Amino acid sequence: MNFELSEEQQLLQDSVARFVADHYSLEARRKLADSTLGYSEDHWKQFAELGWLALPFSEEDGGLGGTIIDAMVVMEQFGKGLILEPYFATVILGGGVLKRLPPSESRTARINAVMEGHMKLALATTELQSRWDLHDVVSTATADGDGFVLNGTKSVVLHGASADGIIVSLRTQGGQFDKDGISLFWVDPKAEGVSLKAYPTVDGLRAAELTLEKVSVPSDALLGPLHGGYEILDAVAQEATLALSAEGLGAMERLYKDTVEYTQNREQFDHPLSDFQTLQHRMVEMFMEYEQCKSLLYRATLEFAQDGMDASKSVSACKHLVGVAGRFIGENAVQLHGGMGVTEELAIGHYFKRLFVIDTQFGNADYHLERYAA
Amino acid sequence: MDIELSKADLEFREEVTAFLDGNAYKPGEDYAAWRLNWFKAAAEKGGWDVPKWPAAFGGPGWTPTQHYIWEQETATRNLPWDLPFGVGMVAPIIMTYGNAEQQARFLPDIRARTVNWCQGYSEPGAGSDLAALKTKAELSEDGTHYVVNGSKIWTTMAHIADWIFCLTRTSSEGKKQEGITFLLFPMKQDGVEVKPIITLGGSHTVNTVHFTDVKVPVENRIGEEGKGWTYAKGLLAHERTGLAGVSRSLVALEKLRRQAGKVKRGNGSLLDDPSFKSKLARLEIDLKALEYTELRSLARAAAGAQPGPESSIMKLKGTEIQQRIALLTTEAAGPFAAPWGGASVGPSFASGGTQSYLGSRAYTIYGGASEVQKDIIAKNVLGLKAKGKAS
Ligand SMILES: Cc1cc2nc3c(=O)[nH]c(=O)nc-3n(C[C@H](O)[C@H](O)[C@H](O)COP(=O)(O)OP(=O)(O)OC[C@H]3O[C@@H](n4cnc5c(N)ncnc54)[C@H](O)[C@@H]3O)c2cc1C
Repeated sequence: MNFELSEEQQLLQDSVARFVADHYSLEARRKLADSTLGYSEDHWKQFAELGWLALPFSEEDGGLGGTIIDAMVVMEQFGKGLILEPYFATVILGGGVLKRLPPSESRTARINAVMEGHMKLALATTELQSRWDLHDVVSTATADGDGFVLNGTKSVVLHGASADGIIVSLRTQGGQFDKDGISLFWVDPKAEGVSLKAYPTVDGLRAAELTLEKVSVPSDALLGPLHGGYEILDAVAQEATLALSAEGLGAMERLYKDTVEYTQNREQFDHPLSDFQTLQHRMVEMFMEYEQCKSLLYRATLEFAQDGMDASKSVSACKHLVGVAGRFIGENAVQLHGGMGVTEELAIGHYFKRLFVIDTQFGNADYHLERYAA
Repeated sequence: MDIELSKADLEFREEVTAFLDGNAYKPGEDYAAWRLNWFKAAAEKGGWDVPKWPAAFGGPGWTPTQHYIWEQETATRNLPWDLPFGVGMVAPIIMTYGNAEQQARFLPDIRARTVNWCQGYSEPGAGSDLAALKTKAELSEDGTHYVVNGSKIWTTMAHIADWIFCLTRTSSEGKKQEGITFLLFPMKQDGVEVKPIITLGGSHTVNTVHFTDVKVPVENRIGEEGKGWTYAKGLLAHERTGLAGVSRSLVALEKLRRQAGKVKRGNGSLLDDPSFKSKLARLEIDLKALEYTELRSLARAAAGAQPGPESSIMKLKGTEIQQRIALLTTEAAGPFAAPWGGASVGPSFASGGTQSYLGSRAYTIYGGASEVQKDIIAKNVLGLKAKGKAS
């Protein structure tokens, strides 16, 4: 048994940590979050140069052949820095679909463009009624001559408006809840009938509502097998859930450590707050919850690396605890900072909000508890 | 034991609903004019504009049950906006500790809602430990006025307030609770500088306020110099009882149930979802318990007794429940709890739900942070002594 990172993974961790330290002061992040785009193209170029965009793609695809463990390493550091760039949307979600497709010219071209930093992606699965059920799909793709016509609405598409290509799950046959009959399509945001309504999310990131109105696409817009998109989605969702959990873990670490530090420096009643036993115990609980999340994250990640989809129960266990512990740690970090905790001025409020949003993505704590119990 | 309302109480309830419905805001009406008229009409009912004021100062002199009915009926309706600082906070202090001249000078405008107040207690170094406050008030040599210097923080609505009621330090001798003086002065004058603090939801309600050589006539001092702590403490207890919000929570919970009923989950709604359903039920159980805790406390008060131990838990439990309702609302919104910045996507309650959740985090911080409240209960109710005590 060995829970240490390999030398390469250690180097990767150091390089992401260094990037965060150099580029993600709270002030710098605030500026970026307030900009029109919401992140930095410059950073994205550096991501490409550092090889992070090539990480999950296989060596045959020209990538670095990284595993889910590498993704975890990167995302945890991103969580500590509250990174705004669409790495999760492009590399974990979009890239996760692309790498699972059978070989084709367009697949190669797109993977290359992603790795070089020229193409950003988004994955559109959520619908008004679906919550987190990837198989609950009413938006449709209908065969039409050589191609398809797409209709419907997708919601809270992460970084949808800055994506160069959006991968959309659509129903090609069966009823609303059938896993069979869902297909994935490549949608060019600029195509006729495609509209995007962009907005910020509460954590300072971006999302969009995607509307498809009689959008005609050629037959090669279909990604993967007709009616067989769900299996790909399900696998990508597992990776995504782990990636978000890792990001959440990074945020939790910052929160509990910042709180321990703050309470040692803030004095009330002629004592540092950290002298008060009730606060000490609260921070001990925050710390313990963090460590428990880390354990479940390691467990789920290692199992997924080994057993793939058979690890889904462990993945749900992990996301459940990340939801519950993230809430506990976030809320108590705010509470223990008193008034300072509810301001935009300190970092902790931003970590708290990111954890809040992580619980709304790819299934909240209750959702994964039910999956685990099922 | 008896939980039936008397015939008189039932009649009172009808009178209240008739008044509230008869004076409701009509779309298109001039809001500001309606607001001031509403308070006038309520005043004409015999002090309904100031339900909690004693009859001697123009309040309605309601029984605790009547107050309870008023709370219930107003919780379901849109009343004109009203800040707590004037009618609810500074007025009781002026009534109890102010002189007749001060009462005549300040109470009418407070009652008419034409002057807005803010509360200048907390300072950067004095939050939970309020008595550590440092804002200095020095009496001029001729004894006609104080000169105030220092900083306040978290001052809600200081940016729109006309007046502030402010705790200042006039002496550093003896215990820190001594030497605190309660002053009233206008906000819109030289030497008062207000700067916004932006909170989690991106909104501006709290501020820092800096005072540089602000002159305050001695006539604006409430009570005696150095006794401000005693006056403020009475007010804090007053402030806390108002923070439980049981009626409002009951309404909010019903609203959440309706909203969740419209959120689809497979072929049913979120109300069929076992974990959501049990969370909702659990919340309702806690809230019903709190409702009865409040009623027990009201009944005691009606019988003329001092508030019992049950009243001390109202703020703690009440705010915790408000936070849980807000949180569960965001859970009902699911993925749509994330969109922000006026993006109206998903269920109509989603963005308001997230806003409330973020805002609700402050409920367990202001008006006495929960940890410190528990210290006070441990000491005053359970009779425990602690090391590193807060009170
Ligand atoms: C939205 C908002 C509006 C406000 N409006 C006003 C206003 O209008 N006017 C005004 O004067 N003030 C206002 N306040 C200030 C509020 O009263 C203070 O924030 C509160 O008293 C806590 O003080 P603090 O923020 O300095 O936190 P601290 O006192 O630093 O407390 C930080 C944490 O330590 C805990 N703690 C402190 N002492 C102890 C102890 N002895 N034992 C155990 N735990 C302890 C607290 O419970 C808290 O969790 C407002 C605050 C907020 C957030």
